[in-house]
Amino acid sequence: MEGTNTHMGVLEEIKNRKLFFDGGMGSLLQARGLAPGELPETWNIRHPEVLREIHLEYLQAGCDVVTTNTFGANGLKYGADGEFSLEKVVTAAVENARAAIETYGREISDRQKLGKYIALDMGPTGKLLKPLGDLAFEDAYDLYRQVVLAGVKAGADLVLVETMSDSYEAKAAVLAAKENCDLPVFATMIFDEKGKLLTGGNVASTVALLEGLGVDALGINCGLGPVQMKGILKDILEAASVPVIVNPNAGLPRSENGKTVYDIDADTFAAVMEEIADMGANALGGCCGTTPEHIRKTVERCKYKPQILPTEKNRTVVSSYAQAVVIGRSPVIIGERINPTGKSKFKQALRDHNLEYILREGVTQQDHGAHILDVNVGLPEINEPEMMEEVVKELQSIIDLPLQIDTSDIAAMERAMRIYNGKPLINSVNGKEESMRAVFPLVKKYGGVVVALTLDEKGIPETAEGRVAIAKKIYRTAAEYGIRPKDILIDALCLTVSSDSKGALTTLETLRRVRDELHGKTILGVSNISFGLPQREIINAAFFTMAMANGLNAAIINPNSEAMMRAYYSFRALADLDPQCGEYIAMYSGQTAGLGQSAVRNPAVGSSSGSGAGEGMSAGNGSGGSTAADLSLSDSIARGLKERAQAAVRELLNSMDSLTIINSEMIPALDRVGKGFEKGTVFLPQLLMSAEAAKAAFEIIKDHMTVTGEARQKKGEIILATVKGDIHDIGKNIVKVLLENYDFEVIDLGKDVPPEVIAQTARERHVELVGLSALMTTTVPSMEATIRLLRKETPWVKVMVGGAVLTEEYARTIDADRYCRDAMASVNYAEKVLGGKENA
Amino acid sequence: MKRNIRETLRYLGYKNQAADPAVMELIEGSWDDLERAASPKSFCREYGLTVNGEHIDAGVFQTDSRSLARNLKGCERVILLAASLGASVDVLIQRYSKLQVSRAVVLQAAAAACLEDYCDSVNEKLKEDYLKKGLYLRPRFSPGYGDFSLECQKAILQSLEAAKRVGITLTDSLLMAPSKSVTAVIGVSRLPGNCTVKGCEACDKMDCVYRR
Repeated sequence: MEGTNTHMGVLEEIKNRKLFFDGGMGSLLQARGLAPGELPETWNIRHPEVLREIHLEYLQAGCDVVTTNTFGANGLKYGADGEFSLEKVVTAAVENARAAIETYGREISDRQKLGKYIALDMGPTGKLLKPLGDLAFEDAYDLYRQVVLAGVKAGADLVLVETMSDSYEAKAAVLAAKENCDLPVFATMIFDEKGKLLTGGNVASTVALLEGLGVDALGINCGLGPVQMKGILKDILEAASVPVIVNPNAGLPRSENGKTVYDIDADTFAAVMEEIADMGANALGGCCGTTPEHIRKTVERCKYKPQILPTEKNRTVVSSYAQAVVIGRSPVIIGERINPTGKSKFKQALRDHNLEYILREGVTQQDHGAHILDVNVGLPEINEPEMMEEVVKELQSIIDLPLQIDTSDIAAMERAMRIYNGKPLINSVNGKEESMRAVFPLVKKYGGVVVALTLDEKGIPETAEGRVAIAKKIYRTAAEYGIRPKDILIDALCLTVSSDSKGALTTLETLRRVRDELHGKTILGVSNISFGLPQREIINAAFFTMAMANGLNAAIINPNSEAMMRAYYSFRALADLDPQCGEYIAMYSGQTAGLGQSAVRNPAVGSSSGSGAGEGMSAGNGSGGSTAADLSLSDSIARGLKERAQAAVRELLNSMDSLTIINSEMIPALDRVGKGFEKGTVFLPQLLMSAEAAKAAFEIIKDHMTVTGEARQKKGEIILATVKGDIHDIGKNIVKVLLENYDFEVIDLGKDVPPEVIAQTARERHVELVGLSALMTTTVPSMEATIRLLRKETPWVKVMVGGAVLTEEYARTIDADRYCRDAMASVNYAEKVLGGKENA
Repeated sequence: MKRNIRETLRYLGYKNQAADPAVMELIEGSWDDLERAASPKSFCREYGLTVNGEHIDAGVFQTDSRSLARNLKGCERVILLAASLGASVDVLIQRYSKLQVSRAVVLQAAAAACLEDYCDSVNEKLKEDYLKKGLYLRPRFSPGYGDFSLECQKAILQSLEAAKRVGITLTDSLLMAPSKSVTAVIGVSRLPGNCTVKGCEACDKMDCVYRR
């Protein structure tokens, strides 16, 4: 994509002068008769003269970039069976823009010579992406791809992705543009006054994502007036390395006699836009409520301002959907626990498709202070690309930390990078030609910071000199792919010190030299150092401190290890990275217990609160029974005290066999609570807390039984699913927790599950009982369709149903076998259908 | 943000019973989470209205509904409202739905209480503003209440540009996403009438388990 391409005109132009976008379209169309509820894009075909007139007015006002009237044009609104096809609507829109430019330019037909460009406008789909909504990422991509193909064919000069309030949807749109045309791609997002996207991202995370994807310019539009945008612009300018666009509304909206009006006039607008131009915005225009008058006055004031492009920011940044993590002088902790190597339970979880186990590993590490999570799901007998995609999707739906995609399987790497909602860390590339050829194109395309191992075809150099040489080679080759040094983390490699006593020193020297000679950033898998030694934590923690002191920027460690985190917090305090030792004091001043204790980091940031979730919940929970220390197992379960139940079961296992504990302590406690729930003396939260306490106790018994070789008979398999179209699955998850405690094997198919998937699973695994959940009247028909299919394909299956809108009678009319008004009712029905049977 | 523990308990099924300390701790903890995650937003706009028998024409949508017609009796205009706690609350609920369902259930209840209180505060402000103009507001009424069709959500959200302004979208099966969202109509009348702002009592689904 070199400058010879005619499409590059706009990119050349923006280097030399301020570029001006047009202003609002919707309100101008309304003034000319667009009816409420009428799709604005139909006017491209019905009233082309109106569109041409508006475009022309903007051109005469001085705008350089005409945006096509295609904001809401997508396959959802312009389907194949509608009055107008998507292609027609988009083609007409581009035609109208072109016609207006031709009228404006009179005899000058070359748009580039004229300095006027057509931007193919792409707004949000109007749907929320999965898992919060029901539009799959790839479907969103497809909707945008159709628009891009039509727009390019019609002759657009650039693609403008705008008014995006969800980073994931923005990624789908930008990716669709980048993959299906070679036009410049600009993207502007809608932030609120606090600088947040509606889905939670901020300026830093958004800039990281968009620049990673390779947009040519980025910025902000809509939502706010120019006054409120100034603060956000400042943040963008601090983060961005590409030209910045500012297209505000005409102030803030208010309702006046049923009409939306904006609070500042064209003069005020232009005056503030002048300040925005002075701050460093490179392209200026307007959004809702702005008119040719706003643009004319803005152009007048800003036209001859010097164009100063943002400088290249030399920051190493990765991001999640919600936040950016800067890898710099203060070391960053990358949690290493999501990795099956040497962990038999983790391997089993992967084989069993037990994602909950993996998610807990993630949450626990976050609670202990990880900044980034490494994700490795490589196991010979599983389909790694599929598993990697699924695990990344699941993790990013519940955890706001950036992820490190850790795999040597290039297909798995690409699938994860494609659906990742942010700019990931990639682990890894190395100095081998083959590795660089495979990995660098992906990093260039999807964006990311890549871990580069200092080894090559000749193996791992024994000297720092050798490793630095490979680092140089990697930087050089990366540059050929357009990847900057800031997006590379050099892994200085640490080998076990037990086999080479100079190994650690070589690693430390490499760290220093990469920092001092190459001005690069470094990473280490710290725990490798102690392989083969006893009490590995002792060596690990000491080496970790040494590595940080020698310039280590990112450490792949176990954040659940208190020794490692102590080293981390101490280093920060000692290296002037923790003002007044504030974080250190907050961490340890309350810790009166001995140094053997593990500390859970205070959940201080955003949604990263985790008190109570997962295994790391040693703080926060359980104090409801401060006198609980001597409660029996059954009482601990009945009262929902998880920690105490775990302690009690450990004690009992010394004197009792597993099955006796289950039958004489646990089941009676569950029954007692269940009965209370049915009678109305125990409420749902208690029922569930008790179920969770029992589940935690069962986990311990299960581990014990694996050791002793005892086996617990399962009562049979049950499929649970929230039906197609329904995206609420708490009800289903409640039933799942309870059924599992009563020894049923639950096959959880998740939410929004098509009837075919449910029927197929029931047939393949010959399941006898299926539980379906639907929350709304609008999704009951899909429950009915599922039952119909099950009756046809798996006539032996019994179906129990539940959900807010269902009743006994309703359940009968859709042919369910049993209506379960609550979770206990499903347990009772399951006992009736499967109880006492041998495992199928 | 006021912590409405009483309403949280009511959504969890408690009537007048006391919750035990472990549950109370869970409720307080869930409100901590909620306060960090929630970012309430709303948008409203006024439209002309004609009510003819059970037929209602609010400009951007037309529908037949006996309960809504009763609610809007004597009104000449109507305010359409969309409000949401935002997507981060859903992320939170989703997280615990997978890992600790007891907390998800409590969060769900706390978020419902929080959203209702937020709508009340928006509604109260509107009521004051309109009163200054000598106009009275009817209790807000949402699609799904009584026989007021959920279908009308589509037009309400579209006319308010709710996806862009408040972040509310609809799934194919007309569920709002994020889930902690509300659409409502508020009748505007020149005559004083039943002006309570509470949504729940305005509904005539008498068998609703969550009825106050």
